[in-house]
Amino acid sequence: MSDFAQHLINGVAAGTIYALVALGYTMVYGVLKLINFAHGDVMMVGTFLGYGVAQKLGYEHQSSLWGVLAIFLAAMAACAVMGFLMERFAYRPLRDKPRLTALITAIGISFTLSYGFQLDFGPLPGAAPRAFPEIIAPREWLIIGDRAVVIWNWQVISLAIAIGLMLILQALVYRTRFGRAMRAVSFDHRTAALMGIPVDRIIALTFMLGSALAAGAGILYAIKDTAIQPLMGLYVGLKAFVAAVIGGIGNVPGAVVGGLLLGLVEEFVVGYSSSSWRDAVAFGFLIVVLLVRPGGLFGRVAAEKV
Amino acid sequence: MPAWLRGLVPVLIAIAVLAVLQLLLGHLPFFVYLASIVGVNVILAVSLNIVNGMTGQFSIGHAGFMAVGAYTAGKLSFLLKDVAIAGLPAVVSDQVQFLGTLLAGGAAAAICGFIVGLPSLRLRGDYLAIVTLGFGEIIRVIVQNMEVFGRALGLSGIPQTSSLFAVWFCVFLVVLVARRIVGSTHGRSLWAIREDEVAAEAMGVNTTGYKVRAFVISSFFAGVAGGLFAHFVPIINPGSFTFVKSIEVVVMVVLGGLGSTTGAIVAAVILTLLPEALRTLFLQLGGLGAGVSLAQKVDQIRMPVYGILLVVLMLVRPQGLFGTREVWDLLPRWIPRARKGLT
Amino acid sequence: MSECLLQASQVGIDFGGLRALRGFDLEVRNGDLKGLIGPNGAGKTTAFNLLTGVYVPTHGEIRMCGERVNGRPPHQINHLGLARTFQNIRLFRVLSALDNVRVACLSEARPLFPRERIAALRRRAGGSSPVASMMDALNNYVDWWRALLLTPGFQEEEQEITRRADELLAVMGLSHRRNEEARNLPYGEQRRLEIARALGTRPRVLLLDEPAAGMNTREKADLMVLIRQLRDQFSLGILVIEHDMKLVMGICEDITVLDHGVTIARGAPEGVRQDPKVIEAYLGDSYLAAHGMPVPPSPSNSTSETPAP
Repeated sequence: MSDFAQHLINGVAAGTIYALVALGYTMVYGVLKLINFAHGDVMMVGTFLGYGVAQKLGYEHQSSLWGVLAIFLAAMAACAVMGFLMERFAYRPLRDKPRLTALITAIGISFTLSYGFQLDFGPLPGAAPRAFPEIIAPREWLIIGDRAVVIWNWQVISLAIAIGLMLILQALVYRTRFGRAMRAVSFDHRTAALMGIPVDRIIALTFMLGSALAAGAGILYAIKDTAIQPLMGLYVGLKAFVAAVIGGIGNVPGAVVGGLLLGLVEEFVVGYSSSSWRDAVAFGFLIVVLLVRPGGLFGRVAAEKV
Repeated sequence: MPAWLRGLVPVLIAIAVLAVLQLLLGHLPFFVYLASIVGVNVILAVSLNIVNGMTGQFSIGHAGFMAVGAYTAGKLSFLLKDVAIAGLPAVVSDQVQFLGTLLAGGAAAAICGFIVGLPSLRLRGDYLAIVTLGFGEIIRVIVQNMEVFGRALGLSGIPQTSSLFAVWFCVFLVVLVARRIVGSTHGRSLWAIREDEVAAEAMGVNTTGYKVRAFVISSFFAGVAGGLFAHFVPIINPGSFTFVKSIEVVVMVVLGGLGSTTGAIVAAVILTLLPEALRTLFLQLGGLGAGVSLAQKVDQIRMPVYGILLVVLMLVRPQGLFGTREVWDLLPRWIPRARKGLT
Repeated sequence: MSECLLQASQVGIDFGGLRALRGFDLEVRNGDLKGLIGPNGAGKTTAFNLLTGVYVPTHGEIRMCGERVNGRPPHQINHLGLARTFQNIRLFRVLSALDNVRVACLSEARPLFPRERIAALRRRAGGSSPVASMMDALNNYVDWWRALLLTPGFQEEEQEITRRADELLAVMGLSHRRNEEARNLPYGEQRRLEIARALGTRPRVLLLDEPAAGMNTREKADLMVLIRQLRDQFSLGILVIEHDMKLVMGICEDITVLDHGVTIARGAPEGVRQDPKVIEAYLGDSYLAAHGMPVPPSPSNSTSETPAP
């Protein structure tokens, strides 16, 4: 029983990170109908930036609240800029081309980042995993029974940050002018443009927002796993995408639920069978979902306009 | 000549030509190895082009199907190593077994293609990309977790029964299949799906069925390519069939021009030989120490270069080298053309 | 009296709360030439999409040749004899004119499992039957092998398909464009090519979605003649969506008028033209204003107006 509870807690902790990354996929898919393959790699770059800042600040084991905040903000801001550049120079020129062109571009960017970062010259980190400094010193936050169930402080903190970011996003999408414009663009960007909505700016902002979230998620991931390496973006990103599809791509609450669900399923498979099957779980799950409910849990397959 | 035989004429010619080549060049180990690598990549590129180019879907997990073929065929050959078919000379028996394992590898990959393709190809959109990528990962995880497949170490000791003839005959077959599909009502339906799925469906084309069949054929040949591969390299391990390999094939198809069979061939040959040539060049130039490190650099830098190549191609020349045309469409007018499938 | 080929009864569809069409009734028989009109957004194209299976109706029933086709995929409905064109031309742009038509010309070889048997299985199962789908797939695989082996039967069939496609191009006056890419054809010819392509599927009912859009007056006149000729030559039932009132009134024997997804009038052109509801909805102020015509002081006066040139 306590085993179960512990897995539940770990699963939720992992799931929140998937959920944050999934939000970026879902938002970009919502406005552009594009699977931004490079999204996971943006997360990876953000994590390495955070790592760089932490190194500069000289963190090994202890850190101040302001320092942690600085790490998050620096990584998120840098990734927002990166998202902007990516959209402006790679995707915008292709917006009216067949969707396949943008998809290939996205795959190309993803591949360039994840393998470019494995090179070891200049500032590039190289392929070897790095240890991310423990910017939040691990402490048991809650111990139940005879250490049967342990909740760590970083699990609570990352859950709190994740929920906070999601609430902000939800408010942004459904309560602000920007959110309304975003939903209009997502519905039909040509009509939205005719209605005087600055479509280019909305799409750029969506990319920036998604990228910043990814950077935040990346650092949370690093706090959890501590080892970071250039290929992490590919794997975490893909799983997050699977989470987005499970929830119904284009659907904000769906991405969160999908992320949590995937985190839990993975954790239970790893807990009750073997950790080496972890990477196969997500995709097996994806194929099942596509077979049974192709629109995801909360979405539906939209009929194409004829 | 009986009419039913006419369709097989090119096959007979190919057998004759390849047999001669085998006799002339078959004893040069390095050449055969290089030609085999090139051949396997051509098979992969041409078969992927049937899905990504002609049908307009996007699979990025071709290495996964190659792995299925390689492990199926390799394991079978390994198990049959000491078995000989009674009444046949050893060489012939080996080759028959080799053929059988190739077909088994192709069939296994085709079945996987069906299982993966059916759920994802029912949907419009880009799901196939994700699902095929996921499939590649699942295969990798399965192989790494199962003792029969040698886990991360891989399989070694597979009989090296492949030959120049075998590889290039398969190359010939996949090209013939691709050309005949293009020239038939099926090829036209695939192009129609690529151009406008809604209209194709309204004109009576069972789009899901066609997509799945194209995908199954493509997977079959990826499996055959894997089977061939397993029979001329000393060892197969999960490292040979990673996402990188899949992307390499995608780059070949995109560079050659989505939909152009000859484009895929040309790109596959260039992208296989160029890194090899650079590596050899650096090894020759730089002496032992520096040369080796430079050669490793070539290997490392190849991958980001592929990524950049994809992005630049999409921005500058999305149709690739040849677009949907074939090499002979670009020849001067006075040269007689090959029979064109699409008018 | 000829049998009813296409029949829609009380068909409706909701798009997330918006009822785009409701209570739609329609019958098309062999030899019919019917019209479907209505202002923009009235649900005309939605009706076409429902009939051809692009959308699945949320209410009502659609029958094609007596078979219920609700929820069937569009290609199966097409195989029952229903073909269409598209409002916003959807040709296969990089294929030649000939190939566009050849895609639609289905193979007519004798398959492993006869088509009638598959159709009967589907009918008995009330739509989808796994066995029927399996037989269909097997038929197709056999077909692929014939193409790969280039069997004599296959080659004959290809020639037959090409001959038929050429014939259809000739009927539509497009023979001179045979080998040109569809996207390079002028607009009017693209519309005609769409019709040729639809005819390639050997339809019994043809749905034309604004076939005259973008054509000049002379082309339109030719098209009117052509549509009548097609009906007789191929013994079709035809349903036309058209904005050009002159064309609709000129060729259709029966007109259905939609407004906001509801059928507001139906009948012979003269009757429809004088129906006050139609005048209010369709020929009302906004319509006339939109077409640059003087808006009459009160709607009742517009009865005498000749609808849009």
